Amino acid sequence: MSGVPGDLTCELLAQSLAAWRVAGRVECASDGALVIGESRKDIRIDPAPTHLMFRWMVTVDGRKRGAVSLVGVLRQVREVLDPGYTANRVRVTVAPLVPSQ
Amino acid sequence: MSDDLIPVSVLTGFLGSGKTTMLRHLLGQPEFSRTAVIINEFGEIGLDHELIEASEDSLIELQTGCLCCKIRTDLAQTLQDLLQRRDDGRCMPFDRIVIETSGLADPAPILQTLMTDANIAGRLVLGGVVTTVDAVNGVSTIVREGVSQKQIAVADRIILTKLDLAGSAKPALLRRLKEFNAGAPVLVADHGRIDPLIVFNAGLYDPQTKSTDVISWLAEETHGHARHDADIKTYAIVREESIRAATLTLFLEALAEHCGADLLRLKGIVNIVESPDRPTVIHGVQHVFHAPAWLDRWPSDDRSSRIVFITRRIPQRWVEVLLEAIAAEVADVSDGHSSKTHPVRN
Repeated sequence: MSGVPGDLTCELLAQSLAAWRVAGRVECASDGALVIGESRKDIRIDPAPTHLMFRWMVTVDGRKRGAVSLVGVLRQVREVLDPGYTANRVRVTVAPLVPSQ
Repeated sequence: MSDDLIPVSVLTGFLGSGKTTMLRHLLGQPEFSRTAVIINEFGEIGLDHELIEASEDSLIELQTGCLCCKIRTDLAQTLQDLLQRRDDGRCMPFDRIVIETSGLADPAPILQTLMTDANIAGRLVLGGVVTTVDAVNGVSTIVREGVSQKQIAVADRIILTKLDLAGSAKPALLRRLKEFNAGAPVLVADHGRIDPLIVFNAGLYDPQTKSTDVISWLAEETHGHARHDADIKTYAIVREESIRAATLTLFLEALAEHCGADLLRLKGIVNIVESPDRPTVIHGVQHVFHAPAWLDRWPSDDRSSRIVFITRRIPQRWVEVLLEAIAAEVADVSDGHSSKTHPVRN
């Protein structure tokens, strides 16, 4: 299991679609998976089997990819649903915010 | 890190909002006698520098374009040159730099330049962002000009100008300012006259006293004032439970990745599980973040984590749920309930 409550993951995905302004509807399936429908592509997100190193499996058009965190899940989902999306990588400044103590 | 840190303040505001008038007054004050000024003018003939009475060797005009979009490298180079001249004794030993942006400039990329250029990083510290707003035309400018909204949203101080012409600060204008930036104090300049220390001591770190003032810097406003149809919103997330370091890292990474330019600014103080007595302070502009700074102690008895967001079209609820979900996942791994590896980038 992922350790994250299903309703929380469901709300995160639903809120994410709204934040990204992409179409889609998120539902919790009876088997515990999360399904995104009414969108550009149908996506299914399952907790990964315990023997795998991943925490999540994201299935798009029958193709499964693993994700080790929710952040990874969000990245995969957005790449599928938002064709114009280009991830911004965090850039950490060379200068500290305040001098070291 | 040099002991001789010089704060760099950004003075911004839409065209005709009174930036130069206020700067001219400030430079006449004793507190500002050791200030270097960089003026960015947008147009074929620069005029603002003619209106500023400052030591010629510490006044630099950048006229090649708008700072925010064309000459960020010029700004970094100019700052580097200025520091070199100071070191060589070829200009006065200034202890403060003010950058007056053009009225059309988006201040966020300017802040990023100050945060990321390695050649100036060890010498300069980010001061406050000060935004002037014309009390006569302010409302119409805010409604019409997106860049004006951003200038207000990222401000640490908002200065109302031309109140003599407007009669008084109109409630509609004050409401608009609250909508875009509920946290920044709104001050008044009378024909450019204003207390210089109130205006420019708005950064997190004060090089003079070598101290931080997180509470004033955060100027947090936890009660939403944003209209529901406003693109730019300020809100704060307050969390009583401490946050694991890995959660904070993943959270900031996800914000930067998905929000990009729509995350206008973020600043906060965070209670970290692994460091309960020393909070960390975070600051980011778009996808550029300072490394978290660790304070020696909490600035008050309030040990909750408080993160202020200044965003464009980023729903507050998404940010809240994102943090909550990442925290749950990291806790599951950290507490050993999961056989999986730590959640890391994928």
